[in-house]
Amino acid sequence: MTTHTIEFPYTRTLGPVIGPFLTGLRDGHVLGVRNRDGRVLVPPLEWDPATGEAIDVDFVEVGPAGTVETWAWVTEPTRKHPLDHPFAFALIRLDGADTALLHAVDAGSMDRMRTGMRVVARWKDERAGHITDLSFVPEEAA
Amino acid sequence: MDDIAIIGYAQSPSQRRAELTEPQFLFPVISEAIERANVERRDIGFTCAGSCDYLSGQTFAFVMNLEAVGAWPPISESHVEMDGAWALYEAWVRLQHGDIDVALAFGSGKSSPGDPSEIYPLQLDPYTLTPLGADPVSMAALQARAMLDKGTITEQEMAEIAVRSRTNAANNPYAQVRGSGDVDTLLREPYVTAPLRRHDLPPISDGASAVVLATADKARAVCERPVWIRGIDHRIEPHQPGMRDLTESISTRQAGRHAGIDHGPVEVAELSATFSHQEKLLREALGLGDEVQVNPSGGALAANPVMAVGLARIAEAARAISERGVSRALAHATSGQCLQQNLVCVLEGA
Amino acid sequence: MTPAATEPDDDNSVKMMDYFMQLEYREPLCPVVRRYADQLLEGRLIGHQCPSCGLVYLPPRGYCPICVVETTDADETVLSDRGTVTNYTVVTPVQYYGQHETEPFVRASVTLDGGNATMNLQDLVDVPVDEVRVGMRVAAVWKPKGERSVADISNRSWGSAEGCIDGWRPTGEPDAPAEQFLGKATF
Ligand SMILES: [Zn+2]
Repeated sequence: MTTHTIEFPYTRTLGPVIGPFLTGLRDGHVLGVRNRDGRVLVPPLEWDPATGEAIDVDFVEVGPAGTVETWAWVTEPTRKHPLDHPFAFALIRLDGADTALLHAVDAGSMDRMRTGMRVVARWKDERAGHITDLSFVPEEAA
Repeated sequence: MDDIAIIGYAQSPSQRRAELTEPQFLFPVISEAIERANVERRDIGFTCAGSCDYLSGQTFAFVMNLEAVGAWPPISESHVEMDGAWALYEAWVRLQHGDIDVALAFGSGKSSPGDPSEIYPLQLDPYTLTPLGADPVSMAALQARAMLDKGTITEQEMAEIAVRSRTNAANNPYAQVRGSGDVDTLLREPYVTAPLRRHDLPPISDGASAVVLATADKARAVCERPVWIRGIDHRIEPHQPGMRDLTESISTRQAGRHAGIDHGPVEVAELSATFSHQEKLLREALGLGDEVQVNPSGGALAANPVMAVGLARIAEAARAISERGVSRALAHATSGQCLQQNLVCVLEGA
Repeated sequence: MTPAATEPDDDNSVKMMDYFMQLEYREPLCPVVRRYADQLLEGRLIGHQCPSCGLVYLPPRGYCPICVVETTDADETVLSDRGTVTNYTVVTPVQYYGQHETEPFVRASVTLDGGNATMNLQDLVDVPVDEVRVGMRVAAVWKPKGERSVADISNRSWGSAEGCIDGWRPTGEPDAPAEQFLGKATF
């Protein structure tokens, strides 16, 4: 067996929508953006995926709690996952949002997960402006 | 659009871990496809390949794959960082120009050296999805749960799909996972990523496929039974999984309509349902009834050579027509997570 | 132009994001490269000579991409470990991530004696950068037998003799005429 590793240290510019979104995460709040129909998209996007229209940047604070729309129980996390113990990936519709955000729910065990459950953001103490500055926990545990 | 025909096709056996390199196992596949097409290598006016450098673990790995084609003196070629089915689409478009009459499309991938759960998150939004390590099994599990919650599938049906795939694969020399296990036994297995069990997942596969296309006149001249491409189309949905309805495949429905599947009865459908529940979703999107034979090859659950598996569906559908007397078949290929992008190709005999 | 007074000057918002991409790959050496590696450990360079056009590939690939024919053990040929520099470049390293060299260095193509087999991206030893030239006669500097390693040999032709040959040292013979090498491609 031969082994080799490839590494690319990427540094990306963020632009006028993802920049404020990640700045918000660093500062402890989640921002969505309102499209022309008034629907709130989270994560915020520069273009409306339904119409392709540019979105006039109009940020709306959403969450920090929300409802699980669907979930998957990860028994063996990979080293790239946000949590190092079993957790749920979930699509979470944050309060005030019209779309769902993919994130991790630290529920402890699969028995505590169900579709429609309420979850709330749990913030890291040290935040860098990164999607992993937060994860979610069941609301009753918060 | 001018009629274009499939005049040759070939596949490699899918293997869990190929000992040969990607160009090495591509080599005989391309040679066989050209031989079966009854044309010479120099007759090929355009070549298009589908492969993924992240899978190969080397930038510009696709250039090495051209060594299996013969690119000297220089040839006219192109590459898609997608399944070979999209390479076929590009070759089909290229043939519409009418200045060349033969084109080659191929797809290849060696998944075994890397870890798919670490590689595929790199195809996602780099700000909000890649850093979560959103792997394909977890994403597919979100989709399966949404279908289970909606009542459009059961875990029992998912296991039945897996068993049928394995049973069908028993007769497919290129397949990797073949018939064993009954539904009850499979349902007693633990979850890998709930609600998905091992049988709901595709195998990790190394493999390649190739298809030779020709314009109508050329096809009639060199081929006894050309397989005609009556329609081909591909459509894509929003990237963020939380901005789509994961329980439907609108893009597949659109692609199917634009490819003209309802212009006649479909006898065989080869679907790139990489996860068991996706077969039901695709059947529904394409309006396939119980009379349609779905994945007689075993499909992607029996062999999943990424970047070749969609083109292999087209090759299998063509084989059903040219070797088994089927008169009309469709093939489906997919790209992205949770069936984000879908291609439908309708094939007919005489 | 300076920003308007009402705009916050650099406002401490997040404008960039780092992502460190790292992937690991494990694969067996394919049979022709495994045989090549075994022979390197024995101090022999082997290649495959195309039965159709005669070009020699080192390491062997199992085919000739020019003729599109497969090559096998029957096409194996043992090559000389002496040759001629037929091309070279001087790399002045920029300190990007992963670049460990700090001083200008040479990467040379060495065409081996007795045929057309060429090893590319080779290190030259004991020769100043500004004395390298096309036509220079060189010989392989083998590591002692017990110290050879083929850990860096891969299916991708990276490090084609690294771990077994330290580089190529000038032999002191008169140069071969450069004209016969210039303007030719090597594979
Ligand atoms: Zn040759």
